[in-house]
Amino acid sequence: MKLKPNNAADAKENSTKNMTRRQFMGAIGHTASGMAVAGGLVMVYKFLYPNVLLEIPSRFKIASINSLQPGSHVFEPEHRVFAFHDTRGYFFALSAVCTHLGCTVAWKSEGITGHKEGIFLCPCHGSEFTKEGDVIRGPARRHLDRYHMAVDEGQLIVDTSETVNTIEDMILKV
Amino acid sequence: MQSKPWRSVFRTALPIKTNLDRSLVMFNSLALHIQPVKVRERAIRFSYTFYLGMISFFLFMVLVVTGILLMLYYQPAIPNAYENMKDLQYVVSSGIFLRNLHRWAAHLMVISVFLHMLRVFFAGAYRPPREFNWVIGVLLLLLTLLLSYTGYLLPYDQLAYWAVTVGSNIVKYVPIIGKNIRFVLLGGNTIGEYTLVRFYVLHCVVLPLFITSLIALHFWRIRKDGGLY
Ligand code: HEM
Ligand code: FES
Repeated sequence: MKLKPNNAADAKENSTKNMTRRQFMGAIGHTASGMAVAGGLVMVYKFLYPNVLLEIPSRFKIASINSLQPGSHVFEPEHRVFAFHDTRGYFFALSAVCTHLGCTVAWKSEGITGHKEGIFLCPCHGSEFTKEGDVIRGPARRHLDRYHMAVDEGQLIVDTSETVNTIEDMILKV
Repeated sequence: MQSKPWRSVFRTALPIKTNLDRSLVMFNSLALHIQPVKVRERAIRFSYTFYLGMISFFLFMVLVVTGILLMLYYQPAIPNAYENMKDLQYVVSSGIFLRNLHRWAAHLMVISVFLHMLRVFFAGAYRPPREFNWVIGVLLLLLTLLLSYTGYLLPYDQLAYWAVTVGSNIVKYVPIIGKNIRFVLLGGNTIGEYTLVRFYVLHCVVLPLFITSLIALHFWRIRKDGGLY
């Protein structure tokens, strides 16, 4: 692969023009191998990325409107979602997945000082959230995921793939 | 006993008289040539290395043997995995002993590898020409931790599930590609069938192959860098 020029400046000037046959074949060979390796890596990455997931559908019925009494809530463990019927007359749904590192938060109806209406407590590293999902205490830094429920033939429907940002958007008045 | 076939097992002819003969015994044997012909006296003193590297290697051997035996009763599937673990504990003869041996050896190996690293650090044995062996050592510690982490999911109990949930969510914080790494690692958005198989293959095939190759390189470098510091 080594070019043996008479002097270095000459070599620099001629290196593109006067490529030896060996250099040319070498360049083709290395390019081809490089492309094959890159293609292989892309294929392996795609192979590792499953196209069909064995996961539960994101849209599901969490409760029927009539069975969820004011002041009560339900928890759906498969999707890890809470649905509340607030005593002020509206419904809302929150994800139970802690925004710190993903453990399932527990509902503590007795609440704590300043949050008598109840709080969510994460068993893993102690994050606390208000009833509407805002952070009271870290390590979590983001509010719990909020969902706007749909009503279909008297059933409350949650779609975990669609979150909303504000408490107002989350609230469902029926 | 002095038959020709028997003597042909050992490639050095008897009697052994000179120092050259003694060194040939080492050179000529696959098992012995891993040892140097000469060592510094302090290198074989217990108080110098506390034998921590060898203890780590021994624990790894225990893990390979017990791990292969556990594999005979373990299926990486839901709900089989958890049931297999319970069967190992309550049904299979010596199952609980092997499982505990595997688990304790895994914990001890993490500790001994770490202490070994401390020993090397305080002896200053990472200095030239041994810098590269220190780098290999860092990779070995990493692989040991990854083996423990992937093994932790396999019993598929509550502890396993939540530890890996938390661990894989940490991966999400890697800038830009974090979410993709997690998805590929888990084979989905949450831990499930695919995750269990992926961790199983990593734990029983991929990582042991890597760590075995690196251990070989580590030992070879000790010799080539002139024995223990
Ligand atoms: C440095 C090496 C290794 C470490 C640190 C390690 C660590 C672990 C840990 C922490 C567990 C969980 C144990 C439990 O919950 O009972 C485990 C399980 C398991 N390991 Fe390993 N392991 C190692 C090597 C191996 C090897 C080489 C194999 C197979 C060739 C293997 C096969 C298994 C199997 C089948 C299980 C599931 C059974 C069980 O959970 O007890 N391991 N390992
Ligand atoms: S996962 Fe909830 S506080 Fe860490």
